[in-house]
Amino acid sequence: MESKPRSLKILDAVTLILLLIATLLVFFFAPLEAVMGLVQKVFYFHVAAGWVGMLSFMIAAFAGVAYLRASHHKWDIVGLAAVEIGMVFAFINIVTGSIWARPIWNTWWTWDPRLTTATIMMLIYAAYFMLRSGIEDPDRRARFSAVYTIIGFLSVPLTFFSARLFRTIHPIVIGTNQPGAEGAFDMTGRMLATFLFGLLTFTFIFADLLWHRIRLGRLADTVEQLKMKTME
Amino acid sequence: MGLRYLHAIRAVLWKDLSAELRGREMLSAMLVFALLVILVFNFALELDAKTRANVTSGVLWVTFAFAGTLGLNRSMAMEKDRGCLDGLLLAPVDRSAIYFGKALSNLVFMLVVEAIVLPVYSLLYNTNLFNPGLILVILLGSIGYVAVGTLLAAMAVQTRTRDILLPILLFPVVIPVLIAAVKASSGFLQGIAIADIWSWLNLLIVYDVIFITVAFMVFDYIVEE
Amino acid sequence: MNLLQLGPADTTSYMIAGYAVIFGVMLLYVLSLVVRTRNLEKDLEVLAELDHE
Repeated sequence: MESKPRSLKILDAVTLILLLIATLLVFFFAPLEAVMGLVQKVFYFHVAAGWVGMLSFMIAAFAGVAYLRASHHKWDIVGLAAVEIGMVFAFINIVTGSIWARPIWNTWWTWDPRLTTATIMMLIYAAYFMLRSGIEDPDRRARFSAVYTIIGFLSVPLTFFSARLFRTIHPIVIGTNQPGAEGAFDMTGRMLATFLFGLLTFTFIFADLLWHRIRLGRLADTVEQLKMKTME
Repeated sequence: MGLRYLHAIRAVLWKDLSAELRGREMLSAMLVFALLVILVFNFALELDAKTRANVTSGVLWVTFAFAGTLGLNRSMAMEKDRGCLDGLLLAPVDRSAIYFGKALSNLVFMLVVEAIVLPVYSLLYNTNLFNPGLILVILLGSIGYVAVGTLLAAMAVQTRTRDILLPILLFPVVIPVLIAAVKASSGFLQGIAIADIWSWLNLLIVYDVIFITVAFMVFDYIVEE
Repeated sequence: MNLLQLGPADTTSYMIAGYAVIFGVMLLYVLSLVVRTRNLEKDLEVLAELDHE
């Protein structure tokens, strides 16, 4: 594999520093929430992870469009990288959402529109991998993956709206009308600053991981091509 | 686009309809399956008259979704196995005509099944399902379902995992249709004011428009050889 | 929520679980990237050798 470009090394360092600062902010700068206690601190990175999940999906869809227009194999690598990372962070988002819900509302799951949509998004990601594993031809695989990310990405906002509409008409049975897994408390200035910094940090984490995953993808392709060559 | 395009659509549609009229395999399979699903629901959910009123739209739409998958799979598999697709692809017409033709035939089959399930359900459970609002919802919902389903089925049939893959690809993406259709259906069945149901209908229409458009733009890339 | 409680609820264990998941999963992913890269580089070596024969 080509050696790590200098910009990537810098990005790695910056990302780690940001993560360190963000974590320190969460534990030492942001105030303790009056009712929920320490578990509220999970919220900062929970939402940031959800954000990365959405961002990944968007990048994947754009890569899909790019692939369909240009047929340049690199877009398939980008799409796959984005979906993989998105899946990891969507998973983090959902699990931390559940961990938060448990002490607050005494339930492991709330059918909150955001959590519901995040779960469905993860299912679409999973379906993406199953689609890919069923296709041998690389070009067809790339095309179909591209189409599916576009369809999937477009469906997500619609799913969110329908879940939210569903929710306003039928409040969840457990307890009173919870305003959702996020924002069930008033954010003070410090909390907001920590929250926004968390979003920034995770965006950097996404970019960093994406770059690394793309490099991995290119390496995998090279190996694949070489394998084909030696088989002949 | 013109006349040739419309002719192509009609040709594909007619091919499917006449093939089905001859054998009626797919329709009977979808129908029997749908009725079985309803039967299973009866025993699984133990619905008394009151609960049933709340749950009817859900049961109906789950039934339609599953039966719909059967139809979509079968319809595409036929193309692949009999090599009809290759013949169609050689025709000098925009590939999207094939998409519309297939989508329309899938829609027809789904509507036929729904048209039979409704009276059967009404009879079995002594509910009146002959509601113009409900029919509208069924139409809009089926259109959305089939619009995406035809596209995804065309992909799924070209993979190794074929039939099993379609529901996995389709269901997460078609959830807005299911939610909106179920809510709108029960709205109409329970006689709720149109003003309250309107947002659901709106959602269905938006979904239909978006995905028919996208499928139309993207179908070409799926059937490239 | 126990309104008679003085001060916030003790939800420390949940917070720890939450952060364990966040950092744990991210770390596992990074590790998976590292492992996969190493495996591919090894494959590359082997293939390059075969190619030279």
